[in-house]
Parts: sequence; structure tokens; C-alpha cells
Amino acid sequence: MTHLHSACPRTMIKAAALAALLSAGSAAWSATPPDTLVMAWNIDAISTFDPAQIGEVVTNEILMNTCSALVDYDPEDATRVVPALAESWEVNEDERSLTFHLRDGLTFPSGEPVEADDLAWSLARVVKLGFGNAATLEEYGFTTDNVEQLITAPDPRTLVIRFDRPYPSELMLQAIAANRVATAIDRDTVMAQEVDGDLGNRYLTTRTECAGPYRLRQWNAGEAVVLEANPGWTPAPALSRVLIRHVAEPGTQRLLLSRGDVDVARDLTPEDLAAVEAAPDLEIDKALRPQLFYWGFNNDDPILSNQKVRQALQLLVDYQGLADTVMSYSGIPRASFVPLESFGALDQSEGQPFSQDLDRARELLVEAGYPDGFSMRLIFGTLPYSATVAQSLQNAAAQIGIDLELERMANAQLFSRVRGREYQMSLQSWQTSVADAHGMASRLIYNPDNRLEARNTMYPSWNSAFYSEQANQEIEEALFETDPAAREQRYHALQREVFELTPRVVLFQTYNIVGLNQQLKGWRSNGFRSYYTLTSK
Amino acid sequence: MSDSTINSTALPPREPSALLGGFNWLARTLATVAATLFGLLVLTFFIGRLLPLDPVIAILGDNASQSAYDAMYRQLGLDRPLIEQFATYVGQVVQFDFGRSLTSGNPVLSDIARVFPATLELATLSILIATGFGIPLGVLSAMYRDSPLDYIVRVLTLLGYSAPNFWLGLMGLTLFYATLGWVAGPGRIDFVYEYTLTPITGFLLIDAPLLGEWQAFANAISHIVLPASILGFSAMAYIARMTRSFMIEQLNQEYVVTARVKGLSWAKTVWVHAFRNIAVQVITVVALSYAFLLEGAVLIETVFAWPGFGRYLTNALLAGDMNAVVGCTLLVGTIFIVLNLCCDLLYHLLDPRTR
Repeated sequence: MTHLHSACPRTMIKAAALAALLSAGSAAWSATPPDTLVMAWNIDAISTFDPAQIGEVVTNEILMNTCSALVDYDPEDATRVVPALAESWEVNEDERSLTFHLRDGLTFPSGEPVEADDLAWSLARVVKLGFGNAATLEEYGFTTDNVEQLITAPDPRTLVIRFDRPYPSELMLQAIAANRVATAIDRDTVMAQEVDGDLGNRYLTTRTECAGPYRLRQWNAGEAVVLEANPGWTPAPALSRVLIRHVAEPGTQRLLLSRGDVDVARDLTPEDLAAVEAAPDLEIDKALRPQLFYWGFNNDDPILSNQKVRQALQLLVDYQGLADTVMSYSGIPRASFVPLESFGALDQSEGQPFSQDLDRARELLVEAGYPDGFSMRLIFGTLPYSATVAQSLQNAAAQIGIDLELERMANAQLFSRVRGREYQMSLQSWQTSVADAHGMASRLIYNPDNRLEARNTMYPSWNSAFYSEQANQEIEEALFETDPAAREQRYHALQREVFELTPRVVLFQTYNIVGLNQQLKGWRSNGFRSYYTLTSK
Repeated sequence: MSDSTINSTALPPREPSALLGGFNWLARTLATVAATLFGLLVLTFFIGRLLPLDPVIAILGDNASQSAYDAMYRQLGLDRPLIEQFATYVGQVVQFDFGRSLTSGNPVLSDIARVFPATLELATLSILIATGFGIPLGVLSAMYRDSPLDYIVRVLTLLGYSAPNFWLGLMGLTLFYATLGWVAGPGRIDFVYEYTLTPITGFLLIDAPLLGEWQAFANAISHIVLPASILGFSAMAYIARMTRSFMIEQLNQEYVVTARVKGLSWAKTVWVHAFRNIAVQVITVVALSYAFLLEGAVLIETVFAWPGFGRYLTNALLAGDMNAVVGCTLLVGTIFIVLNLCCDLLYHLLDPRTR
């Protein structure tokens, strides 16, 4: 007993000392550093920081906070653009060129001045490399052969972009000047690292050599991204560092936010968001994205090529039921192919006129010649709500005799199947980079050539084998309509026509939604991105 | 006369046949290792090419034009015959060039060198916890079979066996991190240290003391203790159940009765005599558990945002990043081979019958 009594206090003291040591390690830094914005985000998708190559929303946001473009979307109103690298711009009379005047005193992190020639080279580089982002410029007539003639720098502070046709200037400002392709890359630094004519592509995989408020200090794939304020940049951001920690699990993100170990959590589930909304020192922030979540059809399929079948499928969707459950916090019901808050969009009620109507759906199936229904396979990827939405569609389909077989797969496999038209139905998302109806119309509806051998794989319209000569023509006419009011009316009419054609069933327009610590001030998001430079503590 | 003289005269000169035998063993072992790794390489490479995952889309994204797609397809050499691709790849691998990861842009070896220490550190601490608790609990459970202690151990090990790590991880974080604040949260170390600590070995629990950063060391311990305990709990369940089963078998042997009849204490009979006879089996169980932990516990690494090997391999597989997948598979194969060799050596030491 004596031994036991003497041992216990010693053990307890040791245990207490260890606990103190451990808690010192954890509690001392439970709040995030005052000069740093700390976010928890699933950043698995990052694979490069080359503006010519990136093609997903996570890297796009990081890059747009790191590298300034010629102009920027207004944080308060995403339909307007505001000065960024360019302090002003002019549209020439025939709407065939834009002239940008760069701000004075712009420098790269290397200390070299930013000149218009750097921007002209950066834009031409995107076309020459031919990655996915080349389509941003190719769509408006730029090719490897003409890009250097069409984008020129008559003097170090003036950049001129000429177009082959009179595209609407507001659309061009959004589609090109506010896009990641119009960021200024430090040509000398990057070309010094060129390998096998790659224009510095490999070098820029893990670096940002551009003009902007932050620069990439470190990226460890699947671990973290660290941005550091660019010393020569004015105005200097309030927070000198941004740390994005890779946290894949939403539940873990919520715990980190609730403990104050991160300022922002980016991938919370509806349950997590409800808890965050209810917590006294936390809040949520949401902005509608120009992103649509849709039920895609391969219109080449003998059954799905029947318009009545597609119309029947449209009536299976329980928009309200999904909005109240799995999609609460994730998006709003939307059936039109033009997202809300875009130029030319139908308003909320007219843009989603459908409700679940199984009787009418059954009638349409009978009219289509399928009174006993049919079997179909629906493929989907790893979006958090895909599986639940797929099950909801499966249940509704079963009630009118359609047997939907569900198959979940990695996103890379899903994209591969859809690009090859090797599918019947899919659940997917598509996001445009402009707040203009043309952004979606030009990809989701317009199809330049529907032949299999045309391989227009960057057009979701081609991937779904949807082709309408009339719709193509209407999109062309709307694009070159000079009267904005008339142009808007053309898009309204096109949306109503597409409801009838039903090339796919648009389900929801999604939110950019985050959980925030209330100590963070000035957090701003719009549909395209969040603005780190406006944030302070 | 010095000790060394005594030793040198006492030791008989090694027989040439013994040396030859040692050489043969080494040659056989190396040949087996090479054949196993080559087999793994063949399997992983060809299975990787059969998977319906497109590495070109992993690089270009899903909105790339067909011409960009075709150019990248050629650049990756995917247009060449499979055998030719394999021959080129083997030629690179024998020079320790596993190519570049398609998703991180880094050489695969440098990626593995970055993520593997995180997993090795976590797995080693977990196996120490598992072994430290699992073996004594297994032996005690066998010694006091059908006693309350035995029932408690059996329930505990059943829980460790059946409760998903993913769930235990989230519950552990909620209780010990979010509610009680006893441990640090997800990740290997707090942000304030993460980018100020210059890596020497990549093992934070070694680098921090080497650099004299004791607060960082405490912080790293505070981060690792919960995931290591949860992983260790599962491994402990397996080790304890197997140890119990081995020990019960031994305790039914006649030599145990004889030892007891001769007056040997129960504890000495168990720990000195019976335990010696189960040591080889227990080592196998511990080594297997360690190997599985070193493969990377994907779910625990996900819940704890632990930048480890398991998550790296899983993400590479989902993205169709076959260079990374093949590199990781060869590492896993090497781990199993090395642990097997270590086990063989330990058997040799512990069991005279294997010599």
C-alpha cells in the first residue's frame, strides 16, 4: 500500500505535466494569426498554377486572388467589370477592338515593370499552348496564326485587342479581359525556365510569376497552399498571408471552424451549414454561382432521342423536395440553361416553371411509344449531393416504369465517358466564366458540328449529341444583336424554346457558400470567386 | 592477454561452406526481392492501363479541345504500343526515375519522400501503442480466461475490430479536440510552425528536437496523439485477440502443467516459458499490422487532414495518375518485403528450430 500511495502522486504529476505540455501545444494557437487568412478547403483538384492550363474553380479562385487580370468583376455586382491591371479602356466605334491603358507603377514580384507587351505575350501563350483555356480565346476568333497580329502593345502602357467580328464589348470584357487568361506573366523569368518549348508550362505548375496582390509561396499537393502578399503591390492587402489547408472531410472543417483554428470553411454539408448558422460566433455567406447542376442525356440514344421521353423525364424532378432537403444551402431550383444574375436570364419563377407531375410524365411516355417504360443507366461523379439526387430521380422514374440503374465513379472517369458519348444519362455541373446568357448558350446549346468524328468535346452540347440548326442560328443572331434590350429578348425566347426541346434537364443553380468566423471582416464573394484582398481581422 | 585476443582465439574460423551458404541466402533473397518487385511493376502498369481513367483529362481538364487532347495523348506516349510504353517505363524505373506525378507536377519520388514520413511517423507511434497495450492485454486475458478482466478485454477488442476508424476519428475529434480541447486539431502541426520549421528528416517528432524547437515538438505530439491512438486501438484489438488465442493454446500444453507442478510461479510460467513459444507468431501479427498501417490509413488521414501516403495514393488512383500509383505500389511492395525479411531474421534469433 505504501508503494501504491507514493507512486500515485508521482504518476499524477507526470500526467499533469504531460497534459500541460500537450495543451500548451494546442491551445496557445487556437485562434488564427492576426495577419493571416486561414481556410479549410478540399484542394485535391489543384494540379497546376499555369493560367493557360487551370480549369477548375479552386485553382481559378486562388489564381485570381494572386494574379490580377486586365479588369475584374465588381465584388458587389458580378454583371459589372471594374479596373484592375488596366485603369481604363475604350471600345472603338465598330466594336471590333478594345484598347486598355495599364496602371502606372505595376511590377512583377521580380521587381521588373509590367508592360503591355507582357500581357500580349501572356494572352498569345494561352492560345499557343492549346490547353483547355485556349478555347476562351479561340471561341472569339483567335488562332495560333493570328493571335500575335490581333493582340498588340503599341506602347508599354497600351494593349490593343482586335476581334474578327463585332462581339458585344461588355461580353468581351467579361469573357477575356476579366478571365485568368488575361493575367500578366513575367515573361523573362518564365522563359528562362522553358523546357522543350513548353513556354514555361512545367515551371508554372508550382509557381505564380505574375502581377497581383499575392504570390504563391508554397503548394504541397493535397496538403496546403500558402500565399504571401506581393511586397511591391498597391494597395497592399490587409492580411499579409493566406493559408489554405487541405481538409477533405466536411465534418473536420466544421470542427476546425468552431474551434477558431480556421477563419473560413469552404466545403460544408447542409447539416454542417445549419449548425454553423445556429452558432453564435459563426455565420454563413452565400452567393449564386453561374454554375448549373443538370441531368444530362445522350441524345444519340434511341430512346432519349425522342423529345417526348426527355419531356417526361423533366416532369420526374421533385424540385421543391430536393430544395428542402439535399440541396438546401447548396443551390436553388433552376430549369433554364441561363443562370440567374446573368444578362438575359429569365426571372426566378419563369426560369423554373416545372413541378413533379408523374401522371403527365406517364402520358408522355405512352405518346412516345414506351407505355411499359424502359431501363437506363445513370452515371455520376463525386459531387456531394449527386448520389442523393440520383436516388430521388430513380425513385420517381420507377413510379412510371423506368428502371434507372445508378453508377457512381471518379470524376475523371465520368468526364471521360461523357466526352466519348459512352453513356446514356449523367449528373454533371457546368460553369460559365461570364455573367451573360451567351456564356451558357454557346456551350450548352450551340453545337458547331454534331458528327461523331468532329470530336467537339469542349461543348457539352456535342457531348450530349444535341444539335438544333435553328438554335445555333438564334444564338449567332443574339450574339451580334447591337440593341441590348433586343438581345435580352432573344435570349428570353431561346430559353423558352429550349424548355420544349429539353436537350437535358437543368436541376439547380449552385451557391458559392462558406462558413465564416465572425472575427473575419470584409469577406466578399460573388458567383465567380471570393476576394481575399478585401478581408481583414 | 587482452580480451580481444581471448575472443579472437576463442572464435573458430568460419567454414568456407558457411560463407558460401550466407552468400547463397543473400543471392536468393535479392533474386526474390527483384522478382517480386518486377511482378508488381508488371501488374500495376498493365492494370493501370486497363482502368477506365483518363490521364489526359486529369491534366487538361474536361473542357479541353480534341486537338489539345490528342497532342497531350501523344506527348505522354500513350499512342505507342503498350509493350513499348512498358519497356520505356522499366528503363526509367531501373534508374530510379518514376516519372512526374500528373497531378502535382513533381517527380513521383519527391512526392513520396514528402508524404511517406508523415505516414511512417503515424504508423510507428500507432504500432507502439498497439503492441504496448495489445500484447499484455492478450496475455492477461488468456491467463485469467473467463474472468471479468477477460470479458473487458474481449469487449474492448471487439469494439476496436468493429467500430469504423472513420467514425472513431470524428467522435475523437469532437470530444477531445472540439469539446475538451485536450489535443490539437487536424493536421501534423499548427500553422505557426508548419512553414518555419526547416525539415531535416521529414519526421516532425525528430526534426523539432534536433532544431531545439521544443514547443513545436509538443505541438506535433499534441496533433499526432489522437490519430495514432485511434489507429493503434484498431491494431491493438487484432494483436490482443491473436495473442490471447496463441497463449490459450500454449497454456493447455503439458509443459505448462509440469512447470507449475515443479513450483514455478504462474506469472513466470506464462511470461518466461509460454510467451517465448508464441513470440514468433506474435511477431508475425505485429509485422503484418505495421505493414498495413504503413500502407496508409486513408480514412484516418482524411478525417485528420493528415498529409500522408494513403491519401496520396488514393487521390492518384482516382485521378488516373498512373506514374504516382506505380511508384506507390512499388513502395508498398518494398515495405512488405523488408518487413518479411526482418521477421525472418527475428525468427532466426528467437526460434532455434529455424536456424
